[in-house]
Amino acid sequence: MRAGGGKWEWHIEPRYWRNPLIYVGILIIAPVVVYFAYPPLLATVIDANLLAAIAIPLALMSIGTGRMNFGPQFYIGIGGYAAALLSIHFGLNPGLTLIAAALAGLFFGFLMSPLSIIAGGLYYSLLTLLLPLLFLEVTFIFSDLFKGDTGLSGIAPLVSVGSFSLNLLIYAFISLAMMLFYLFIIDKIFRSRYAIQMAAINDDEEVANGIGVNVNKTKIISFIIPAMMVAVVGWFYAHYYGAFSGLTYLPLTFMLKVFMVTMIGGRTQIYGCIIGGYFISFLELILIRTTGDMSPVLFPLILLILLLTLREGLFGLYRKRHYREYMPTLRFRR
Amino acid sequence: MLVAIETTLIYTFLLGSLYLLVSLGFSLICGVLRIFHLGYAYIFTATIYFTWMFMSVFHWGLVPSIAAMLVIQAGIAIAIYKGLIVRYIKREEIIILGLLFVAIILEQSALRFYPIQTGVYLETTVVPGISKIGQVTVSNQLIFAGILGIVTTGLFVLFFLKTKLGLAVRAISYDIYSSRLMGIQVERVFMFIMVLVLIPVILATLAIAPIWAVEPSMGWGYMIIAILVSILGGLGNIKGTIMASYIIGFCHSVVGFVIAQPLYMGLSALIVVLIMLIVRPQGIAKSETVW
Repeated sequence: MRAGGGKWEWHIEPRYWRNPLIYVGILIIAPVVVYFAYPPLLATVIDANLLAAIAIPLALMSIGTGRMNFGPQFYIGIGGYAAALLSIHFGLNPGLTLIAAALAGLFFGFLMSPLSIIAGGLYYSLLTLLLPLLFLEVTFIFSDLFKGDTGLSGIAPLVSVGSFSLNLLIYAFISLAMMLFYLFIIDKIFRSRYAIQMAAINDDEEVANGIGVNVNKTKIISFIIPAMMVAVVGWFYAHYYGAFSGLTYLPLTFMLKVFMVTMIGGRTQIYGCIIGGYFISFLELILIRTTGDMSPVLFPLILLILLLTLREGLFGLYRKRHYREYMPTLRFRR
Repeated sequence: MLVAIETTLIYTFLLGSLYLLVSLGFSLICGVLRIFHLGYAYIFTATIYFTWMFMSVFHWGLVPSIAAMLVIQAGIAIAIYKGLIVRYIKREEIIILGLLFVAIILEQSALRFYPIQTGVYLETTVVPGISKIGQVTVSNQLIFAGILGIVTTGLFVLFFLKTKLGLAVRAISYDIYSSRLMGIQVERVFMFIMVLVLIPVILATLAIAPIWAVEPSMGWGYMIIAILVSILGGLGNIKGTIMASYIIGFCHSVVGFVIAQPLYMGLSALIVVLIMLIVRPQGIAKSETVW
């Protein structure tokens, strides 16, 4: 409000916060609508939220390290198995297994983070591609502990209110909250000075080093924090399904789904990851319902066509028509 | 003790030669086209299932079916090159993901039309029976596969050293821009390499089909071996690939046959490669050129 003036002016114009509020509102109302219309569809909504919750930290990791991690599912395995083993063998409640899964993600993220410094370019991509497969081998070797391809079952559920539909609705809200929390945190990171450092590293590591950016420290932090976030998603999978098997999450097929969320969404655009998550989940559901046993063939085929035709993903289509700079943003080399 | 040494030596040779056949194509593509063919797994699946398709649907004999499979595989390789690699050469993540999708589509198609219960089996046994080498009993077909690996690699090396086209390939792998300036038709050579790398993989798959498990997802395990060998040997360098194949073969033979813990075979090779990547990231041989 100007001194002596009568007209109120918004410090931040409504269009900058109106649309995000509308979209978050839609995401909150949608599960409620689905609950009353067709409750089993909530499982797809949960799947979409979780895929987005994996893809959003992966975007941070990719931009912060300047490299593409081809094995984010390794940390899902870490978080999931940590939660499963502690729940089954020690009877820990989900609150405690959450802390354990986060710490496990933090620890293994820290252990693997030197890869982002030592291994350059495609070596890094190959190593990260091999890590989940290495983990899968370990689960088969120590099948007494990890139960091999059968996996661990009997994990305490996160929510149990006596009604299957109501459980699903609560899970949907928890997964949505997790996704939005990740989005909020990472959006804040991308608007901070750390983002300037990451953008510099992303563009040219040597120049970034030359201008005083601590490249190694930034890379390690950009590796560890997303690793912990993805491990928490693994924790959620374990307690949501009540069972956890590495064969579901560690192979390349699951990695491809996560990657397609980032690519379809808009090449590591974090808002695009939400669009990508919902798109991929509902596409898979529609194909299963309409094409039956042909869906495992058609699903990757459609994703391949979309990958080749949508250069900037679905979010890119939206931005082309409604291009607007909401706030000064950094240009990351994606 | 003597039996252990015999077993190690024999299976190092056999497995190493087989892994050499499996990895040669992957290493060549890395060295010449400078891309990671993460869809490499599809070649193994396509070899078995396209051959089976011609035999079961059209009732062709084995040899005509193999010939037809070769034609289809060449077509797929050229389609991948022109439709994916050439168009998205500057966007590596699209190439990598696209190639992975191609492999998954072919795998899922094989699983849909020829599930494991179908009992797909190719009678490509060249030398039946078993032989005893010292105290070690080995399948003759496996010995044949090992010798085939050595012979094929030798022919490839001769090709790269003694022919003009081989020289062109080596030049491109060293410096693509200078090769273009010297008048080498780089795009045609790339296409040729995409088809050439099918040969060792197809030979390996047909050689081991009668003795090892055949199923739609068989390609992934071999692709992982190819990746490990290529990383260990130095991406795109055939000399390194040869050495790395026998190192991985040695690991597998010791762990699988001497220590008798086959479950640890994959893990042992992965650990060796991880250590090499930390100690000497460029691999055993520096990968400046293919040879």
